[in-house]
Amino acid sequence: MTCAPEKSDERQVTGDSPILRTVARIAVPITVLVSLVIFYQGHNLPGGGFIAGVLVAAAGAMHLLAFGIEKARRRAWWKCSVVGLLIAILTGVWPMLSGQTFMDHTVWHIGSFYLPTATFFDFGVYMIVFGTLMTVFVELGQEEGV
Amino acid sequence: MPTPETSLHLIVFVPFACAALALVTGRSLGRATGGFMVVAALASFVQCILLLVQKSDAGVAHSIVPWIEALNIQLAFRGDSFGLFFAMIVSGIGTLVGIYSCSYIPKLDPGRVGRYYAALIAFMGAMLGVALADDLILLFVFWEITSITSFMLIGFWYEKDDGRRGAMTALQVTALGGLAMMVGFVMIGVVCDTFSLSELQTSTQLQSTLAGSALFVPALLLMLAGAFTKSAQWPFHFWLPNAMVAPTPVSTYLHAATMVKAGIFLVGRMLPIFGGAEWWSPIVATAGLITFALGAYQAFHETDLKAILARTTLSTLGLVMFLYGINAASQDAVQILNHAVYKGALFLIVGIVEHATHTRDIRELTGLRHNMPRTFLLCVVAALSMAGLPPMFGFVAKESLYGALLDNEVLHQTPALQWFVIAICVLSNAFIFAVSFKIILGVFCGKPSAKAGHAHEAGLGLLFSPAVLVAIVIGVGAAAVTHGPQNLLNGFSSSTHAHAHVALIPDFKNPGPLLLSLTTIALGVGIYVARTRVGAVQVAIRDAIPTMQSLWDQFMDTITTVATAFANHWQNGSLRWYFTGTWLFVSTLGVFALYRGGIGIDNVPLSLAGAPWYGVALCGLLIIAAVAVARATTRIAAAIAITATGYLTALLFVVYRSPDIVLTQILIETVSTIFVLLILYFMPAWKPDKLLPAGRLMNVVVASIVGVVMFLFTVVATSDQFRETRNLAGSYLTRAYADANGHNAVNVIIVDFRAIDTTGEITVLVVVGLLIYGLLRSRRTMT
Repeated sequence: MTCAPEKSDERQVTGDSPILRTVARIAVPITVLVSLVIFYQGHNLPGGGFIAGVLVAAAGAMHLLAFGIEKARRRAWWKCSVVGLLIAILTGVWPMLSGQTFMDHTVWHIGSFYLPTATFFDFGVYMIVFGTLMTVFVELGQEEGV
Repeated sequence: MPTPETSLHLIVFVPFACAALALVTGRSLGRATGGFMVVAALASFVQCILLLVQKSDAGVAHSIVPWIEALNIQLAFRGDSFGLFFAMIVSGIGTLVGIYSCSYIPKLDPGRVGRYYAALIAFMGAMLGVALADDLILLFVFWEITSITSFMLIGFWYEKDDGRRGAMTALQVTALGGLAMMVGFVMIGVVCDTFSLSELQTSTQLQSTLAGSALFVPALLLMLAGAFTKSAQWPFHFWLPNAMVAPTPVSTYLHAATMVKAGIFLVGRMLPIFGGAEWWSPIVATAGLITFALGAYQAFHETDLKAILARTTLSTLGLVMFLYGINAASQDAVQILNHAVYKGALFLIVGIVEHATHTRDIRELTGLRHNMPRTFLLCVVAALSMAGLPPMFGFVAKESLYGALLDNEVLHQTPALQWFVIAICVLSNAFIFAVSFKIILGVFCGKPSAKAGHAHEAGLGLLFSPAVLVAIVIGVGAAAVTHGPQNLLNGFSSSTHAHAHVALIPDFKNPGPLLLSLTTIALGVGIYVARTRVGAVQVAIRDAIPTMQSLWDQFMDTITTVATAFANHWQNGSLRWYFTGTWLFVSTLGVFALYRGGIGIDNVPLSLAGAPWYGVALCGLLIIAAVAVARATTRIAAAIAITATGYLTALLFVVYRSPDIVLTQILIETVSTIFVLLILYFMPAWKPDKLLPAGRLMNVVVASIVGVVMFLFTVVATSDQFRETRNLAGSYLTRAYADANGHNAVNVIIVDFRAIDTTGEITVLVVVGLLIYGLLRSRRTMT
């Protein structure tokens, strides 16, 4: 889909605000980092895949508003959510191979470090939330009105 | 060498793996993807033979893996001879169809070829599963996979209207029957406390339990609904001719050799369980006989070659069903194999003819013999077998059939009925005889028509598969001079004491079958000679009577009309109407829960004494913001006010110290604000509603009810009293660390304790994302 520039400058998300750009250059990476931290600490402290996913999507939205939709448009964001769903379901199917029930999570101990298998599931949620929200942002951002 | 148990699994599951491979690699391999089909089918075929050989020494292979233990459902497979026989037909013809497909399927978009083979191979795996499953639920699962994959295969030419229509009809009929069958299976499982097919077949105790149960007749009828729809028995026969829009290899495989035989196969499996029922013979034999006669009769006036073959297929399916109905199960292996072989060959030959001439209409085809001599030769043998002439397998099978009818015990009880049945059979076979000669003489002999003139002989890739089948037709027929085929086929029968008489040389001491054969041939010749007149009468009759297809179409139209009216009434597009419905329902649930829980509001102390002043102040601001939303006159104002309520709510959670919800609430608010901003531009101008006073009153009532109920519900649910009665939170909090090693109970619940719920939710989320993507994209490309 192509859109004529004279039509799009008003309606489409073009990203022509220098202030927003300057802020976004710093804020977007920080937000992404924070989202990862929130994802990581979700097991014991407030956080988790869903919130972290929303946060990183917010970062994506900020990027989109600041730098325009062109870059984001080229990616197939829905693939991200489909992959996330696959990860989540595979995490559930995995224990079935060793005779346990669907979604029977365990905790892996690697030295003093421990990793619950539920983390993978949570990561799937993270990707799904991110992918779906980005899909919606990008698709809505491209609308031209009737 | 794999053990017999592993072999069973390999036979069924390797095709599914190959289907996945075909799907993935189809794009790059193109037409060569058919190799997967050939390899998978051949591997399964060889293993079936090995299992059959081992069976005599080591007994029947039986593998049971627990699946859903709580419901007694197992991944059970069993390689008994009838199952293996069916599996051999499926995999054997699968191999041939795979080879044939490689040359037949035209050069298409490569992804599409991959999809075609993936569906075809998965279909084969599912058919093998049906053949070997020893658990009713497992059988049902495979059964439904065959319905779905066949839907995809019939709809291969989905650009065409009749392609989609044929696929839809087939799916509707067979899936509906399959679901009915599942209910029947569940009934059997409930009564007998097992889904194991072999147990049900062998244990007389279970059988008498089932026979004594009130669910016996419903279970029987539902099971038959599944079998009849799948095997296209009257009155569900109409989907099969419509399904002929599929590519010819698919028609060969699904609609001649395998899938339509699944219903017969099921009935054969169920015969030991239900065969003694009072209702068995009347229902099964009647439906079978009607299908048999109707198919043969209608085949004669069709003009499309594939439709002709489809009708004769119906006829044979009906015949086997009828034989089960009169407890002549000994015949099944003979008739099934005979039909699979000659009909498979004929379908493939029709495919070749269509490939060469681009038509299947017998009115446009004559004299193909000159340009396609090899195809002609193959066709003659296959069609003669269909006609039932010696020395073909078809002749042997027909002799065997007549012998069985003359000796049948069920029919012997009423001689008049027996002669009626024999007369119908002879007449039907005479029609099929005439049809066979219509194909041989009409299509291949005489002067070449315009289309036949440009025809060219097919290559080896196309001729190989029908040639193999034709070789079997002659081979089995010739071998029937000895007792070899008889012993072999009786061993394959679903009946444990099969006694079918299979011999090429007629028994002249007992000339009944031979005389009936001769009568059939005489009648057949008569019908063929008078073909124009017979055809005209048939067409006149056909046009006068409503067909099952038109009745079915009316039925489906009615369903659509009702559904549309229902949807238009309830889904009228008014947001207020949806809100009213949703919230009133939720409130009713809330009231019900409060009522059932028996917790009164009277005992809950309501006081603001312990609340901090800033909490109360926040609540006040929230109320103001909410009023602002309702009173807003522009969209942007409403959006700002809504955002304000969201952030105020988040602050309220700060007061009550739940950091999780604060975080979520703030983020959700932010993201929703972005949404609102993105769509605000496209919203229509804000028009205040002009509501009638009654409408306003209605809104006030609904709002008040919802508000009051939600308030009561929240107050009660958070009260100490409630916590004492149902302390879910406590148990989750302790278990979160003990079981899942996590301190954040909320997250542990989401990703661990209630992970299956979450899976459902994230699936919805993904689907919603895809829908938005698809809808908005398609709207943009359209404009």
